[in-house]
Amino acid sequence: MADLILETLAEAWTKYLGTIRAFLPRVLATVSLVLAGWLLGLLLGFVTRKVLGWVRFDAAAERTGAAELLRRAELPPAHRLAGATVFWVVFLGFVLSGIDALGFRGVQGLMADFTRFVPRLVVAFVVLVVGLLVSNFAWRATLIAAVNAKLAPARVVAGTVRLLLVVLTVTMTLEQIGVARAVVLTAFAIAFGSVMLAIAIAVGVGASGLARRLLEEHLASRDAKGPEGLSHL
Amino acid sequence: MKGPSLLSDELLRHLMAVGQVDVVVGLPTLNHAATVGGVVRAAHAAFAAGLKRERTVLLNVDGGSTDGTADAVREASLVAAETLVAAQPLRTVHGISAPYHGLPGKGAALRTLFAAAELLDARAFVLLDPDVTSVTPEWVGGLARPVLREGFDYVAPVFSRAPGEGPLVTQLARPLVRAAYGRRVLEPLASELGCSVRYAAHCLTQDVWSAPFVNYGIDVWLTTTALAGGFRCAQAALGPRRQAPRAQAPSLPELLRQVVGALFACLERHQAHWVPREGAEAVETRGEPGRAEAADPPDPAPLAEAFRAGVRDLAPVLGGILEPATLEGVKAAARDEVPAFPDALWVATVVDFAAAFHGGRIHRDHLLGSLVPLYLGRVAWHLAATTGADPAGAEEAREGLCLEFERAKPELVRRWNAAGGR
Repeated sequence: MADLILETLAEAWTKYLGTIRAFLPRVLATVSLVLAGWLLGLLLGFVTRKVLGWVRFDAAAERTGAAELLRRAELPPAHRLAGATVFWVVFLGFVLSGIDALGFRGVQGLMADFTRFVPRLVVAFVVLVVGLLVSNFAWRATLIAAVNAKLAPARVVAGTVRLLLVVLTVTMTLEQIGVARAVVLTAFAIAFGSVMLAIAIAVGVGASGLARRLLEEHLASRDAKGPEGLSHL
Repeated sequence: MKGPSLLSDELLRHLMAVGQVDVVVGLPTLNHAATVGGVVRAAHAAFAAGLKRERTVLLNVDGGSTDGTADAVREASLVAAETLVAAQPLRTVHGISAPYHGLPGKGAALRTLFAAAELLDARAFVLLDPDVTSVTPEWVGGLARPVLREGFDYVAPVFSRAPGEGPLVTQLARPLVRAAYGRRVLEPLASELGCSVRYAAHCLTQDVWSAPFVNYGIDVWLTTTALAGGFRCAQAALGPRRQAPRAQAPSLPELLRQVVGALFACLERHQAHWVPREGAEAVETRGEPGRAEAADPPDPAPLAEAFRAGVRDLAPVLGGILEPATLEGVKAAARDEVPAFPDALWVATVVDFAAAFHGGRIHRDHLLGSLVPLYLGRVAWHLAATTGADPAGAEEAREGLCLEFERAKPELVRRWNAAGGR
């Protein structure tokens, strides 16, 4: 009996040690991959920051309004954000490769999924950035035009324009990365249609007189002296 | 000679028939039938009186008017010829009306006129504005004589202005041009001028004619090009200037975008000239400035209200343009019933906008649009300060602003250089 127990214990320990022997190199491979990813991510992030610094990426971000968006969101300047994004994409890719190398059944194929997902993620990121830039540009243009047209609710008008564009952008981004696609599209269609209908009813029925008056005042003011009765030249 | 290639065959035939002349009076038109007749008559009267010993030609280039402008020019010329036959000058007086090449716009029209003046080997060129209803024969002589008899290359007009009149000129263009270019030109935005063919030929060689601002900001470019090019400049006092109201006149935001955009663009083009300059020299003036026409001063209250609303709503945009101290000053001014927008604050505002324009910190149309409420605040303050003031007091206030701009020149240069340009 004792021999049987000892034999079973020895067999179990032998198997365990065999598994450890087989698993340790995989752990080492994972650690090395994570370490390499970390170093490569740091290097590529650094290079990205430097290159963007040389091409005055931050100045372009200021011009397009992206820098203002980042400040509002309490994010770092554009070149540092781009560097950090590069670091995390590279590092995450290596981490997933490392996990893949461990050979766990449940997580096998993670890297392949990630590789397929990255292009969609990049496109979604581009859509998000461009959409936010466009919404910010449209907000500023609308705000300035409304202020100069002496529209009392200038900020409301400009804010509404920006909100609509941001919602549209977020919807397109989520649709791109495939998050709850049907729910997102349906919710957006219902919300957007409702807002447009509400505006049409408000302007067309509720405030048609106001719209006419505003147009008449605007057209009547286009003479040489302007509405202030002042010749600026 | 570059001129002939800019001229249509029809215009070229007319010009060759005219031959050499002493004075070319240029009149660019586009749907000016209502007002152009008076300008044409004034030019012909000048040919028959003040310039009767010179060979003269009135050259009207039209951008494709559909309201009978060309007929109005011809009719006015006939009337002038009929009524002034007895006083016909020694040499033949010509009148030419022709379309010009290119897109309708003052830049293209002026290029044609300069090319024609160069082709005719004129000694003096005078540009008139067909919109102006106060043109007299003395205007033509006043702008031409300093070129003909004293060898000046560029003659800018001087208009008699009532206190509070033309604030875009007196509060922004005049002091900024004076401080930057170092010459005390009173009307840098004037659409009238007298010049030599040397200056016209110089303008024709500049690579500016395809620039976007040329068709709406050519006037300030002509003035600043004369200053930056080292040409001999003079001024001619012409009296008051009245402009006919136009249905298609630009709104104030559009006007500021055009004028201030062109002015800042000129600063960029001429920065090698103006950045190292110091002080401001006087420009010789011919003629006596007449009395300004009395006018009811506009009510500053609507301007002040527009300023307050604009500063409140545009605060996040202005924060990206103005320095913190300037922004704080503007916000404090917006809290007053009548905005206290003194010279120092206005100068700091203009300097900040110029630097932001040069640095490309924000889209330029947005930048210039954001200036509108601040300009209205300054005008409200200026109107409140000069209402009831005598002409001498108003002139003193305008001179004070110019001196404030001159004192701020080093700061403008520092900020301009720091902005770097896009």
